[in-house]
Formats: sequence, structure tokens, C-alpha cells
Amino acid sequence: MTDDSALQEMLHDPVRRDQGFRVLMKQYGQALYWHIRRIVVGHDDAEDVMQETCIRVLNGIASFKGDGPLATWLYRVATNEALQHLRRQTHLFQSIDSLNGTLTAKLQAESSLDGNEAAMLFQQALLALPTQQRIAFNLRYYDELSYEEIARITGKSVNTLKTNYHYATQKVKSYITEHLTR
Amino acid sequence: MKDLLNDIGKKMPYSESQEYLDSLIDRATEQAVKRHAVAGGKRRWGVMAASAAAVALLLVSIGFSVMNNESQRPAVTLQTQSPIDEFLGSLTDEEVAQLPYIEIEEIPEY
Repeated sequence: MTDDSALQEMLHDPVRRDQGFRVLMKQYGQALYWHIRRIVVGHDDAEDVMQETCIRVLNGIASFKGDGPLATWLYRVATNEALQHLRRQTHLFQSIDSLNGTLTAKLQAESSLDGNEAAMLFQQALLALPTQQRIAFNLRYYDELSYEEIARITGKSVNTLKTNYHYATQKVKSYITEHLTR
Repeated sequence: MKDLLNDIGKKMPYSESQEYLDSLIDRATEQAVKRHAVAGGKRRWGVMAASAAAVALLLVSIGFSVMNNESQRPAVTLQTQSPIDEFLGSLTDEEVAQLPYIEIEEIPEY
């Protein structure tokens, strides 16, 4: 594991930039892929967004000032790319939250959770959340990031995120309870 | 909720293998490096082309400005006064009045 400052040094050196980028992707690539996949759900979508994220990261790395950890900057780029990808699937004036039905259909088509009803319901409950709440929940629950880190990624305040997470947990709980007993 | 989440764990509902993920990330990384290099090359060409165009524009505008200055410069007129003009100019009005006046008709034809 190369530390942040050594990586940043490589990434800001035009001669070693590509090498630094390869190390960066080895280190964070998988975490970014799963983060993207949880947002866009579809496998092909996740591949496309991952590719776009890599290009964005390499193109933008020179402008990264190092005013925070590299990981949160990478997550921010990946989040923006994933949201941009979802936006492209919406019609004019349509919110990305309206894609929840489409995303649930993709989840059901591509899921490997055969027979695990609770796990499937959990995923469906997450997709029923508003997108911003879902992203905050994912970053906290799956990536185990602190609220401060999530705040840097999403641009929301820590208090807003805490509230978001609380509401998301409540909604997921009631969704599962409601559907499990049916 | 905690019990439920413990039961479910953090397992993702997708089945990408480790090999697939490694290969995907390698592919995406190398593609980005390639595209960045191509874009860098294009950028360099773009900068060179823009610089060349700017230099050409500068030279053309300098050329135009020189030509413009040439055309606006007052033409040098070599006006020399003839001895007759000099003589007439030195006369007072009274002296001019005393000059013998010759009618056009009186000029002999040759």
C-alpha cells in the first residue's frame, strides 16, 4: 500500500504520472467499482462508468490540490460520473429518483442472491431510497467511511448526512418489515 | 435492524469474480492512460497550431499596418518655384498694376 503523499508526488510528476495512476487504480479500483455498481446497479453501466471515472481521474489529477485524502477525491469523481450516467437515462425534467423502478428491474435480472429473500429485500429497500440518501447510506454501511469523509465526497454537511443515514435506516427497516411479512 | 443487517452482512448481490475485477480495472486503467496520451498529443498539436496561427496573424497584421502607414504618408512633392513666379511674388500690388497688360488676342500666332 503506497501512502497518499508518495502517490501524490508520483501523480504530480509528469514523468511518473502513468505509473502513479496504475498504482492508484490497483489500490482503489475495486472499491470504486463496487461504489459505482451500487449506484448504477447494471453491470454494463458500471463498466462504462468505471472507464469514464478512470479517464476523469487521470485527466484531473494535475488539478488535485491535495487538500484532502486521495480516496475521497476518487470517490467524489466516481460518484459524479455515476450520477451523470443516471441523469443521461432520464427524460427532460425527470429526477434520477424516478429511475428506482428501472434499477430494481436490473437488480432482479442480474442478482446472484437466489433464494436469499432477506438480502434481496435489503437491496430493493436501498433502491427505494432517494438517490442521495442511498449514496450516503452505501458509503457509510458498505465503505465504512466517516461522516466527515462522506461530507467531502457528497458536498453535504455532516449533520445532514447523519440525518440522511438515520432516515435511510428507518426506511430500509420498514420496507423490509412490510415486505417480509407478506 | 442490526440483527437483520448482521444476517445479510455486506455481501453484494452480484457475482463478479476477483479475476474479472482485476482484468476490468487493468483494462480501464490502460485505456485511460492511452486516451490521456492521445489527448496530450492532440493538445500539444493544438497549442502548436494555435501558436503558429497567432504568429501568422501577427505577421499579417504587421504587414497591413506597414502598408497602411506607407499609403498614409504624405507624398513628397517636389515643388520648385519658377523664376517668373518668384519675380511676380516679389512685386507689390502697385507694381503688378503697372505691368504691361497683354490681351489674349494680341498674342501673335506662329
